Amino acid sequence: MYICLMYSNELIKGTLKTIVLSLLAKKGRMYGYEITQHVKEETDGKIQLTEGALYPLLHRLEAEGLLETEKENIGKRVRKYYRLTETGNDQATSLAAEFHEFSQTMNRLLNNFSLKPSYNV
Amino acid sequence: MSELNEQQVALISAYIKQHGIAQNELHDDLLDHVCTSIENQMDEGKSFEAAFEQTIKLFGPGGLKQVQQQTFELLTEMNENMKKVAFSFGLTSTFLLLAGTIFKLMHWYGAGVLIILGAGLLALVYLPMLLWHKLKESPRDESMMHISGFVGLTLTTIGVLFKIMHWPGAAVTLLSGMAILAALYVPLFYFKKYKSSANKSITLSTGLVAMTCFILVFGLMSVNRSTNFNRGILLVGADLEDSVDKAANNEALYSKLEGNQNAVALKATVNKSSTTLESFRLELISETEGISREDAKNAKVYLLNGQDNFDIPTHILFGGEGEFSANALITSLESFQTEILQVYKPEIRSEMAAILPFDFSKTYEMSGHETDWETYHFRHIPLSGVLSQLSKMQLDIRNAETQALLYLLSQSAVSESPSGDQGASEAQSL
Repeated sequence: MYICLMYSNELIKGTLKTIVLSLLAKKGRMYGYEITQHVKEETDGKIQLTEGALYPLLHRLEAEGLLETEKENIGKRVRKYYRLTETGNDQATSLAAEFHEFSQTMNRLLNNFSLKPSYNV
Repeated sequence: MSELNEQQVALISAYIKQHGIAQNELHDDLLDHVCTSIENQMDEGKSFEAAFEQTIKLFGPGGLKQVQQQTFELLTEMNENMKKVAFSFGLTSTFLLLAGTIFKLMHWYGAGVLIILGAGLLALVYLPMLLWHKLKESPRDESMMHISGFVGLTLTTIGVLFKIMHWPGAAVTLLSGMAILAALYVPLFYFKKYKSSANKSITLSTGLVAMTCFILVFGLMSVNRSTNFNRGILLVGADLEDSVDKAANNEALYSKLEGNQNAVALKATVNKSSTTLESFRLELISETEGISREDAKNAKVYLLNGQDNFDIPTHILFGGEGEFSANALITSLESFQTEILQVYKPEIRSEMAAILPFDFSKTYEMSGHETDWETYHFRHIPLSGVLSQLSKMQLDIRNAETQALLYLLSQSAVSESPSGDQGASEAQSL
């Protein structure tokens, strides 16, 4: 429900915040639709953020002081751009580093497991 | 690049609002999102209608409302500190109530203070905090359930507190609290559980078991005494009443003392005290049973519903300084003792005073500490016990009366004898 297809919910639920913060760290400022499209393109559609997951998260991160918004008028409607605050930037860096290390550890661990049977044969 | 016109933007905005997005910030986000998505799809050659439909589909089965719900939940999640504070309040009040209950059962000092603090903390701090949290984090259609649960629990807690402390209004508060819980909260809770649970029959039977336990506990609370034990106690009271009736049968003795001023005074003072005691008895019965004085006069103690009620008797006797307070009773009995002493000649009054029935200056030992006369005899004693006490006092008065009558008779017998000395002293006392 949170994120469409390809990967299981459990796997991705914990990384949503990392994805959004890292993306904003790289791009500077983005609006909601742009974020969903960007993630979709970068992952060849393997990770698709839904609105139901993205906007609640954005609002919460804003309330926590990790993001700030600026509004721009686009015709009759308002577009809200999100950008990282200073604390948000720190968080983005540390979350990305943490995830990087985690995935390396997981790789090593899983490699060990999967190699064993082939040696035994 | 296509751009939506004013009308189309207004249409989408209305759609979003109509689907329950009340929050402005979220509305702006979603409006821009939907518009951009539609514009991009129109660039690929789709019509506005098709693009709109396709975009809305992406919001998933819960639709727009779910987006708002989740935003709400994430924003209002209780922070860790608040959770800790709420938890520690809950823990403290539970601990206080538990300790208070144990103290109460063991008759130790301080039970009342512990229970008041525990129940107060529970009803005035913890439960409101819990309600506030529940209302914030759950959907609006559940708020009725949480509010009824809060009101019911708070009233029940206060009712139990009042009941234990024997304060007035306990029964009404307790009953209305439990009625709200039983009639509103429990059905709503199980309806909700039933609707959302995977295994409906198990939820249903758990609910039934819980209800049955609840009913059993309250059923057992009302029949916690054995009938034979009860009869044994009531029998003492009934026998005392018989003795009082018998002892009051002293008209023949009075008739032998016709013209004796002391006998007239004696009769008046005994009648006064006896009437006072009887009026206490009628007041207690009529108030506890909720019947008229007239009906109370004919009531049989063993048939009274409220025979084991001690809240109301204790409240009447200790709840103020009115006509039926314990202090008023003491005043009446004290004046009886002073008056009856006047019957005896001055030389023997101090000896007679020593054998009068009531001694209000004495202290009584009750579960390890000292109490005064009225507390010992009446406080927290059930109605049947209080009535037996009153009958016993009636009998004491009658016995003192018989004693005085026999004394007066012996005095008049002496005065009729020819011995001059004693005749003179009798004449003096008259």
